[in-house]
Amino acid sequence: MSQEKVKIDDLGFSEEELFSIQSHSDEEAERITAPRYSYWKSVFRVFFRKKINIFVLVVLVLVVGFAFIYPPLSGYDEFANLMDSSAKHLSPAAAMEKFGYNIHWILGTGASGGSTFDAVWAGARISIALALVCAAINMTVGIIVGALWGYSKRADKIMLEIYNVVGNIPYQLLCSVLVLIFRPKFWTMVFALTITGWLPIAHFFRTQVLIIRDREYNLASRCLGTPTMRIATKNLLPFLTSIIVTQAAVEIPSYISMEVFLAFIGLGLTDTTLGKLITNAQSAMLTPGWQMEFWSPVILASIIAIVLYVAGQNLGDASDPRSHMM
Amino acid sequence: MTKYVVNRLLRGFLSVAIMVVIVMVMIFTLMDRQLIFASDPLFSKKTFNAKETYMYSKWEEYGYLDYVTYADYLLQLTKDGTITEETRADAVKLGRTPDKDSELTAQYVKQFQEYYTSKGYEVKRLDTKMNGKKVANGGQAALFAAKDKPIWDRAIHYFTGLLEFDNIHRVQEDIGQRKLTFTLHDPVYGGEKFSPAILGNGTDHKYLMYCDSNFPYIHQNFLTLHLGKSFVVNQGIDVFDTMTRSQGGYVTSTITYPTGLVEESADDLHSATYVAGSLEVGELLYGTRFNDDYTQTGIVKNGSSKMGYSFLFGILAVALAYVIGLPLGVLMALKADTWIDKLGTFYIVFITAVPSLSYIFMVKTLGYAMGIPTTFDLESTNKMMYILPIISLAMPSVARLMRWMRRYMIDQKNSDYVRFARSNGLTEGEIFRKHIMRNAVVPIVQGIPASVLFSLVGAFYTEKVYAIPGTGGLMVTAIQTYDNNVIVGVCLFYGLLSVVSLVLGDVLMAMVDPRISFNTKAR
Repeated sequence: MSQEKVKIDDLGFSEEELFSIQSHSDEEAERITAPRYSYWKSVFRVFFRKKINIFVLVVLVLVVGFAFIYPPLSGYDEFANLMDSSAKHLSPAAAMEKFGYNIHWILGTGASGGSTFDAVWAGARISIALALVCAAINMTVGIIVGALWGYSKRADKIMLEIYNVVGNIPYQLLCSVLVLIFRPKFWTMVFALTITGWLPIAHFFRTQVLIIRDREYNLASRCLGTPTMRIATKNLLPFLTSIIVTQAAVEIPSYISMEVFLAFIGLGLTDTTLGKLITNAQSAMLTPGWQMEFWSPVILASIIAIVLYVAGQNLGDASDPRSHMM
Repeated sequence: MTKYVVNRLLRGFLSVAIMVVIVMVMIFTLMDRQLIFASDPLFSKKTFNAKETYMYSKWEEYGYLDYVTYADYLLQLTKDGTITEETRADAVKLGRTPDKDSELTAQYVKQFQEYYTSKGYEVKRLDTKMNGKKVANGGQAALFAAKDKPIWDRAIHYFTGLLEFDNIHRVQEDIGQRKLTFTLHDPVYGGEKFSPAILGNGTDHKYLMYCDSNFPYIHQNFLTLHLGKSFVVNQGIDVFDTMTRSQGGYVTSTITYPTGLVEESADDLHSATYVAGSLEVGELLYGTRFNDDYTQTGIVKNGSSKMGYSFLFGILAVALAYVIGLPLGVLMALKADTWIDKLGTFYIVFITAVPSLSYIFMVKTLGYAMGIPTTFDLESTNKMMYILPIISLAMPSVARLMRWMRRYMIDQKNSDYVRFARSNGLTEGEIFRKHIMRNAVVPIVQGIPASVLFSLVGAFYTEKVYAIPGTGGLMVTAIQTYDNNVIVGVCLFYGLLSVVSLVLGDVLMAMVDPRISFNTKAR
């Protein structure tokens, strides 16, 4: 072996491959080098990665926005043309010819001569509002009660008995009886749909909380003396977020369906709703030339429900932290 | 296991009972009573006092309260022999106002008031309404007592009357020797044909057990279920009867009456019940046919009962759903992320999100365009009319089963035991049948009793859209017409079914999956 020194330059390493002297800095040493992780930013990053989600979200914003902005502007009056028998059940073309070219008449007219287009959006506004309000109340109450229910063993015993009693009553039946008793107005309808509607949701979240309550990390947390409130918000809630969003995606369309059902059995609201429009136009379904007034509310209800559902499901997937790794 | 099941059933029944009481409270105390007159044409024609008494008499009919008029009270007194007919005729005449009553009337009015006030009734007197010098139309004076039925009274009365056992001491009148006779040759079929039956004398029903050619072939009348009498939906008839009674046109057959008369008739002699003195009163009609007072018979009809139709459609739809839904779910899982999977997912999303009314109508329109009959006709024998309702009914179940099956298959495909089986050299078919399938059917099996039992109560939308005479609309009709007893009865029926189907589902699941045990000690 030769003891001769080798010159670094002779080895042909580039500048980057060589060690260089770094000065020490206390401040630098404290910095964590992992990329910054923001939960909600990741949620939206994952959500918008899929093209379908952007499309669905745009449709959702357009539909919901239009349903809330258009009806006050259109000045929809169901009975505006009631006395004019030639204005009833018109096809779009016939309506345009009669009333002139206008956005009101692109779907023709209904049984009482009113504009189907305006009616459908007026109905959508109330149906969406009803679904959102009911879902908000039921989800809030359901999650809070469900969390307590799952967390406390004493509450579990009482709540399970209550659940067994109420769970035996078909939901549609109970709603029907309640709407029957309280007369159909917007807030009584909300009351009927929410008085027991939160119970199945609470039961669902109770099961979810039960699953994660006794996991090791929670046990460790408790041993270290973390207050219950902090365990609930920092340990359980992040885990539940994606489940909550997914559940909401199922809930919201279900209230639209429920409203259609109640209207169909004659217990609907007195205002125009999608359910009421569908029910009233039933006979027009198989009448040649009248189909438009039946299919318009059906299709709009379906679009709203599907868009809400898909957006909610995919947001639920995106809000699961496990999907953020990719 | 048995102990667990019995325990769960009992607890379930208790909770159903509580539910029924809650529904009773809601209907009878929370609901506005005035609502029942909303679509009553008679009500709007009544005026003044007549309107008020009409309201009370209707409320009594609908089961809200006990209502006794002064005239009824006097009539009862006459029947008891306390007063004579002449006294009654005089006492019943009310004055225009209380101080214009005759002395006799005043005495009985006072007695009436004291008697009913002491029993907790509210006694109401309405003075004559005058129209000038004449008594106004409907303005006659009225006196009556009324009392709301207390909820506990109502509930206890309801539950104790729920089941009725027929026995040989039911008939009050003298009827000769009270006995049950067992015969191997049912006299209805002429006494030659082998057909065991139990006949009773002194019981409500003539036939307590008999056989015929209708499902379930052996029938009994020992035990009768009373869910509540209807007022509007099917007047005077029990809810359970309404659901199980056959519908359609009359069917005649050759039957032998008890006197031996052989005739072509639609009378259903097996349903004969006792009506006191009917043979004497209806001598002309019954004399040649019957030799006792068991003369009130039902009629044989060619259609099924409401429940029969609902069940027929329901069970066919359930079968179709399992046959289609399970393989499709498996297919979706095997071809995950291909166009098949995406199409299936779209279908599932569509069915879950869209109001069911919409897709039922879509099926109906498509069927109409293809020339398939869209309404059900009792008289028609066209089998095509079953197609659309069954498809509509099966659609949501198919979506549910597809989603379940796909989820489960994908979860299992990468699990350790499947990989182990594969590494042991099992074929994919074997892995699927013996490993994945055995695990996947467990939760699916649990839902089978519920889907079968709930086809008994029918499907509201489908039956309404296709005009099927099933049970689905019963509840809704009852709600729309404020038929309170029917609402309570149907609620109870639903509740019982859901309790039984849940328990059955769990039992079935335990039978399929040996890991599940209801024995707490084994855990």
